[in-house]
Amino acid sequence: MDLSLTETQQLIQDSTRDFVRNDFAKEILLDLDEMPALMTSELWTKVSQLGWMGMAIPEEYGGTGNTLTDVAVLYEELGRGPVPGPLFSSGVLGALILLKTANSSQKEAWLPGIADGSRILAVAATEKHYGWSPAHIAMTARRNGEDYVLDGTKLFVHDAASATDLLVLAKSESGISLLRVDANADGIAIRVLPGFLSGVTEVTFENVRVPSSDLVGIEGAAWAGYDAALQSAIPVLCAYKVGACQALFELCVDYSKERTQFGQPIGKFQRVQDHIIHIVNYLDAARWTTNEALWKLDTGQDAASSVHMAKALSSDGYLRSCDFAHEVHAGIGVMREYGLTLHTKMSRSLYHCLGAPKFHRKRMEGALGLVQA
Amino acid sequence: MDFAIEDSAEQSTFREEVRVWLKENIPEGTEFPVDPGDLTLEQYEHRRELGRRLGDQSWLYPNMPTKYGGGDLPVEKVVILHEEMGRAGLSLPPYYDAGGRMAAPTILVWGSEEHKDRFLPEICKGRVRSWQLLTEPGAGSDLAGIKMTAIRDGKDYVLNGQKIFVGSSHGAEQSWTVVVTDPEGKRHHNLSWFMIPMDLPGITVVPMNLLTAGGEGGSGCGVKNTIFFDDVRVPAENLVGGENNGWKVATTHLEMEHGGAGRLGERGVIKEFIDYCQDEHHGHNLLESAEARETLVDLYIESEVTRLFAIRNYWMAHNNHPRSYEGSQYSLRRKLSGLDIAEKILEIAGPYALTNDEQYGPLKGALELYGREAITALHPGATTDIQRVIMSRRIGIGRQDREKVGALR
Repeated sequence: MDLSLTETQQLIQDSTRDFVRNDFAKEILLDLDEMPALMTSELWTKVSQLGWMGMAIPEEYGGTGNTLTDVAVLYEELGRGPVPGPLFSSGVLGALILLKTANSSQKEAWLPGIADGSRILAVAATEKHYGWSPAHIAMTARRNGEDYVLDGTKLFVHDAASATDLLVLAKSESGISLLRVDANADGIAIRVLPGFLSGVTEVTFENVRVPSSDLVGIEGAAWAGYDAALQSAIPVLCAYKVGACQALFELCVDYSKERTQFGQPIGKFQRVQDHIIHIVNYLDAARWTTNEALWKLDTGQDAASSVHMAKALSSDGYLRSCDFAHEVHAGIGVMREYGLTLHTKMSRSLYHCLGAPKFHRKRMEGALGLVQA
Repeated sequence: MDFAIEDSAEQSTFREEVRVWLKENIPEGTEFPVDPGDLTLEQYEHRRELGRRLGDQSWLYPNMPTKYGGGDLPVEKVVILHEEMGRAGLSLPPYYDAGGRMAAPTILVWGSEEHKDRFLPEICKGRVRSWQLLTEPGAGSDLAGIKMTAIRDGKDYVLNGQKIFVGSSHGAEQSWTVVVTDPEGKRHHNLSWFMIPMDLPGITVVPMNLLTAGGEGGSGCGVKNTIFFDDVRVPAENLVGGENNGWKVATTHLEMEHGGAGRLGERGVIKEFIDYCQDEHHGHNLLESAEARETLVDLYIESEVTRLFAIRNYWMAHNNHPRSYEGSQYSLRRKLSGLDIAEKILEIAGPYALTNDEQYGPLKGALELYGREAITALHPGATTDIQRVIMSRRIGIGRQDREKVGALR
C-alpha cells in the first residue's frame, strides 16, 4: 500500500496550484463569474497550451494519455478556485464519452481538437423531466434521408454557452443514440439560466439536421458506453469538489485565526472549531472515497459502488462545507467580493450534475447486491 | 390550551373591517416583486403611503399604546392584522422598518417621556422609516466591541465611525444607533443609543454587494449598506436611555432582534412550495417518487416546529409571560431550519430550485431567492453560535446564576 502521489502527480499538483493561484486569482474568478462563457479566450488558450484539455485523451488522438488519478489531481486544484468554465465538460466528460462510444474515424476527427482546446464539447443529456437515467431521455432523433432531425429541449446543460460542439442524447428508432452537433448549427438556441447557478443552460433544437456521419458510434446503442464513460468521469468531478472543500477548509482555518471577537481569535471558540471540524470531516470522506474509486478504475477493478459512494459524499460534502464555512464567516462570507459565495453557488450548481446524492445511493443498492441490479 | 385562531363575532367583524379597508387603501400600483431587491422607488413610496394610512388607523404598530400612536389592540386583533396583510402579499409594516420595529419598544422601556412623545408617534404613524445601526466591520458577534464614537461637544455629540449591514434600498429618515460615548470607559459601561436624523451633514451611505440582503424575515429590505459618519453633529437630546447606559438598553433591543417577541404569519414560500409540488410542472409531478414525498413531509415538519415556536413567543411576549431562552431558541431554529428546508427543496425540485428564469423558475423565482436567503439569514441578529450561547446562559448551563431576559414592555 502506498497512498502518496506519484512524481508525475506531484508535479501536476504543484504547477497547477501555482497557475490557479496566479491566473485564476479571486479577482479574476469574480470577473469570470459575470461572463456567460465563464472563461476568456486568453485564459482558454493558456490552459490549452498547458495540455490540460488532452490529459484524459490517449496519445494516438493528440492527448497525453494520463491515468484518471493524474487527471483528478489537476481537477482537485481547479476546484480550489473554483475555476469555472467547460474544462471538465469538454476535456473529461465529453472526451471519455467519445472514447467509449465513437468509431475510430470519429475519434481521429474530433479528439485531437478537444486535446488542443480548439474544439469544446458540452454534453446535452438532461431534459425538463430532470434525471440521469435512460428513462429521462425523451428527445427524438428522427431519421430523414441521410440525416437525423433533432427537435426538443435539453435543460440544465452544463457549459453549452462556451461549447463549439454538443453531444446530444436522443431517442432514435432502435434506442438511445448520441449525436455530435455544431453548437451554432441552424435551429439551435442556447440560453444561460439566471439564478443561483453557474454555467447552466437551456438548449433548444428546432428542426436541427445532423448528417448521419455525426451519429456517434452505433445507432440506438449509445447508453452503455455513455454510462460507462460517466462512471469514469464522475470521480474526476468528485476530485474537483474535494479541492473545493480543501480550499474552504483552509479559508476557514485562516479566518478563525485572523478574526478576533471578544478579545480573542474566533478559532478559540469551540462552536467555531466545531464548524471547521465538520468541514474537514466532509473533506476527508470525499477525498478518500474519491481516491479509492480512481484507483479501482485505473487498475481495471469493479469500481461501481466506490464511484457512487464518492459522488454521493462529495456532492453532499461540498454543499454542506459551504454552509459551515458561512457559519464560520457570518457577515463577511455573504459579501460577494470576499469570494466564498463563488463556492456556495458552485456547490449548488454541481449538486445534481451527473446525479444527485440520492440517485447514487439508490444505484449503490444494485452495486452492493442488495437488490437485483 | 387552545391553539385555534377562531374568530369570535367581534373578531370576525374586525377581520371584515380590515379586509374592506385594505381593499380600499392599498394604493394602486403597489406591486409585489418576488425579490425585495427589485422594489422600485415608486413601489416603495406606495408602501410608505399605505404605512401612513395604516398609521392613521393606529394599525401600523397595533400593539403600541394609543397614547403614542399605536392601537393598543389585543393579541387576537394584532394577529388578524398580520394575517390580512399577509393575505394581501404584504407584511406589517409594509416596508422594511427594523429601526422602528425594534426602537419603538426599546424607547418605551428606556426613553424619557420627552423621547416617547417625540419619537414614538412618528414611528407608529408611519411618518418616518428607521434603520438600525449596530454591526461594524470589527464588531459582529461582539457587539460590545464597537468602535464608532460619539463625543460630547457643547449641545451636540460628534459622531465618527462606520456601520455595516444597514437598512434597505431607498433610504430612511432616521437611524437607531449604538455608539461608544466613553472611549476610556469599561466594556459594557461605555455605550449609548442615539436616534440620528439621516439628513445630517457628514453621513455617507454606500450599498453593499451581497448574496442577498434579506434574511430578517417579514418585509424585505432590498439592499444593505455601509454607513460612514464623518464629524456628524447630533443634538444631545437625541441620546436615549442614558449616557453610557447603552448595554442595558441593548438588552431590550436584542431581545426583540433575537426573536423574543415572536412572529406571526410566516411560511409563505413553504406553503406555496407544498402546493406547487401537488401540480404537474413541465410534464411531470415532483411527488411521483416516494423519496420526494418523504422529504416533503420532513420539510413540512421542520417548518411547523419553527412556526409554533414563533407563535409561542408571540403569545408569551404579549401576555407578559416570564421568558428565558425562548427568543434565541426560535431564532436559532429559524436559521437552521431555513437552511435545511432550502436543501430539502433542492432535493425535491432538483436544479429548478436554483433558477429564477421566467420559464423554469418555480414560484416566480421565490425558491431561488429562498435558497440564497437561507444562507444570508444565518448571521443577522446574531449567529447560530451566539444564539446557543444565550440559550445556555439563560438555562443556566455551567453557571450559578441564570442570565435574565431583556425587558419587553
